[in-house]
Amino acid sequence: MPKYQFVIDIQYKSNVRDPRGEMIKRVLNDEYRIPASNLRLGKSIHLEIDAESMEEALKLVDKACEKLLVNTVTETYEVRKI
Amino acid sequence: MTRSFPKAQVVVYPGSNCDRDALWALKYVGFDAEFIGIHDHIDADLVILPGGFSYGDYLRVGAVAAREPIASEIKDFVNRGGLVIGICNGFQILIEMRLLSGALLQNSTGKFICKVVELEVSDITTPFTNYFIKGERILLPIAHGFGRYVKTDELKTNVVFRYTEDVNGSDEFIAGVSNNDKNVIGLMPHPERSIERLICSDDGLRVFLSAFNYIKLKKTQEDQKANAKVGV
Amino acid sequence: MKYIDILERKLGRKATKAEIEAFTVMWSEHCGYSHTKGYIRQLPRVGFGGNAGIVPLDDYHFIAFKVESHNHPSAVEPFNGAATGVGGIIRDILAMGARPTAVLDSLHMDKITEGIIDGISDYGNSIGVPTVGGELRISNYYKYNPLVNVMAVGIGKNEHLIPSMAKRAGQVIVIFGGATGRDGIHGASFASEDLTGEKATKLSIQVGDPFAEKMLIEAFLEMVEEGLVEGAQDLGAGGVLSATSELVAKADLGAVVHLERIALREPDMNPVEILISESQERMAVVTSPEKADRVIEIARKHLLFADIAAEVTKTGQYVAKYNGKTVIDVPAKLLEESPEESIYDYTPSKMPKFSWIKFKDIDAHEVFERYDYMVGTDTVVKPGYGPAVMRVKGSCGYSLVIHSRADLGFQDPYWAAYITLLESVRKTLAVGARPLAITDGINYADPDVEPEGLAAQMMGLKNACEFSNVPVASGNASLYNTYKGKGIPPTLVIGMIGKLEDLNVPRPKKGPVYALGFKDFELEREKILWNEIERIAKSGHFVVSMHDFSTMSTLKSELQNVGLEMKLKIPKCEPAHQLVVVFGDVETKLPKELIGYVR
Repeated sequence: MPKYQFVIDIQYKSNVRDPRGEMIKRVLNDEYRIPASNLRLGKSIHLEIDAESMEEALKLVDKACEKLLVNTVTETYEVRKI
Repeated sequence: MTRSFPKAQVVVYPGSNCDRDALWALKYVGFDAEFIGIHDHIDADLVILPGGFSYGDYLRVGAVAAREPIASEIKDFVNRGGLVIGICNGFQILIEMRLLSGALLQNSTGKFICKVVELEVSDITTPFTNYFIKGERILLPIAHGFGRYVKTDELKTNVVFRYTEDVNGSDEFIAGVSNNDKNVIGLMPHPERSIERLICSDDGLRVFLSAFNYIKLKKTQEDQKANAKVGV
Repeated sequence: MKYIDILERKLGRKATKAEIEAFTVMWSEHCGYSHTKGYIRQLPRVGFGGNAGIVPLDDYHFIAFKVESHNHPSAVEPFNGAATGVGGIIRDILAMGARPTAVLDSLHMDKITEGIIDGISDYGNSIGVPTVGGELRISNYYKYNPLVNVMAVGIGKNEHLIPSMAKRAGQVIVIFGGATGRDGIHGASFASEDLTGEKATKLSIQVGDPFAEKMLIEAFLEMVEEGLVEGAQDLGAGGVLSATSELVAKADLGAVVHLERIALREPDMNPVEILISESQERMAVVTSPEKADRVIEIARKHLLFADIAAEVTKTGQYVAKYNGKTVIDVPAKLLEESPEESIYDYTPSKMPKFSWIKFKDIDAHEVFERYDYMVGTDTVVKPGYGPAVMRVKGSCGYSLVIHSRADLGFQDPYWAAYITLLESVRKTLAVGARPLAITDGINYADPDVEPEGLAAQMMGLKNACEFSNVPVASGNASLYNTYKGKGIPPTLVIGMIGKLEDLNVPRPKKGPVYALGFKDFELEREKILWNEIERIAKSGHFVVSMHDFSTMSTLKSELQNVGLEMKLKIPKCEPAHQLVVVFGDVETKLPKELIGYVR
């Protein structure tokens, strides 16, 4: 069975607070004088899926995200093929 | 700058939470001890970087704290031969400052672990461990999520404490290391939490007693030298 | 809005849109305690009325403590729900001028929910307050409605005790902490509803920021130490509105609030959103105008936002303005006077014959070893032995226990509440402590559907407190724990504190183990049992009081950790019993049976 490689980029939804990102942005701004803004700290997951087709692989990635990897109450995700 | 009495300072980073425990332990063994902040100057014989979650450990454990103004003060102090203990988050900060080699990663269980563990004292020639017997087994508490020690530089890794069994996945069960000059030590277990029998154990007490008497002895020797010079 | 008619009658006019939003929050069950106020008033109370209950500990210190639930948020988002639950109750303790010293949690769920444990662990560990005990009740009844009740405890110096109200007109209110966003808007009203459908999925999630909380703790205590704090209130449900109005209403004063001075995270918030946002990690401090600059300076030094948000006035009116424009203008008292639902009388009947409804026997080490239970170096008895014992350096000790009997609650809420309290007393006595007071956490299904159960539970609590001579210092009520109309068993959580003069708490030793007491329950025997527990514990013997001795895995594995092996054959007993397990041979007039040994 062919292998398909993906990156899943997980971020807090825009209306959910990201205190970790806020703190890091603040340190960058205040202590390093780097004018960073809109800093969001998320997770990225790299994985390989065994599947018959790209379509099936994508379906399985989505299932993995919905069932476990992503907290769909607070987070959104994007899947990229690599 | 000479002081006749051993003096210690505890660096309070934003988010430190074992700072008060460290101060209690230092005073318990007789140090003249105080807190300093990240913009203050070091004036002590011993500096403790305490446990906690500096800046919430939001980016990487110890990463932001290691780059605060106090960092250059600490480096100068270490170069002058000053004694530094980094406990838990303090150990993580020393590693981020590159004053100790290696890396501290998430426990192999993926979870925070709080319990009392058995350790073996591997090096009793440091100023912090001369009250122990080589190979002695002691009990100290741990409380960390990122304590898995990974060796990065064989030559610069001087192991001082080892767990007697696999606790968090550390290379060679390493729990604490020093630099080659042995004036900087970092350890994940909390000696400051075990200075009284009533609370946990009192095996940690000897870490502070060792440092206290090492400093006192050095001071006496310095005084004698100075006195000899002026021919008293 | 549920009470719109009452509101408009009291106002004597039509309510504005802003007023309706404000009163929806303030008169929600969560803020207003409409269904429970009447019952709470009947309880024997001590040190009641502030942000947390207050009891003197020794000549110099007071102890502040309270239990609070975060059930609804934890059902929707376990991690953040549980985390912010810890944060919220910690600020209640802090607001009294006490340094938070311990957290205990009572968790009811259908399996060990990783998110909840991680949330408590992540937040509690980071802020440096040890989680020293708790109870873990696993049962299918809590599948859709997990219960997360967190009890926090703090110790303060008597001269630092802070009132939860303003004193006089001319004072100012500084709000400091994290920035305000839309998080948690309508959280209070959400926590007062059934968990089905649209409401539950609507985003009302608060995300915890333990770093900000830690800075908040240190900043506030520095202000207290410098004598800058003349009154304080944490910002919880109802946000700025609830905190500032409570501070002045209690003192028959008024306030003018300037909403444009609240630091925002989301700049496009409208005035009412700023007023009712439930963003975490914020506090309101009442101070004199000349001290306000220093208060703000301390907050900013701790990387927090701060500004003078309000002035205290003598008008009695609560006025919120945004850039000079009035948003609401209502009597401050009215905001606090949430309508009261009628309470029910309950006449207790004889205790029924209970049947066993078992909770799963789990080794709690897998949970509490993820909590830092030692930070602060005051934990004398760690989790795993029963009640936690803490010390105040240079003074006495105090015991902490959190306990509930939902298994009985189902069968008879009155006797369930009664027995929960009696068992808490037994547990406290077993570590050599004397009970001081309790905090009660009411967790109930729908009081409109089953009002008698709530009445029975509250009556059971009241009568048990009077029987035991242990007053209530604080409490919390979480109602509407239902899913698709189906509710949880009445689950009364009791947090009890006790005082110890002698910190040499008995520990398990090698030797024979006995079961002492009675396999069934008769109220007349209870005080005899208490006297025996107290006497035996003081004589140095380790005593275990549990409601179900078949769930001793935690103690067993704890003993293994210290090199002891425990082999016991527990006698069968009723769900409501008067048995304790004693380590070592003791003289007693109670029935005694050898049940095993420790070696």
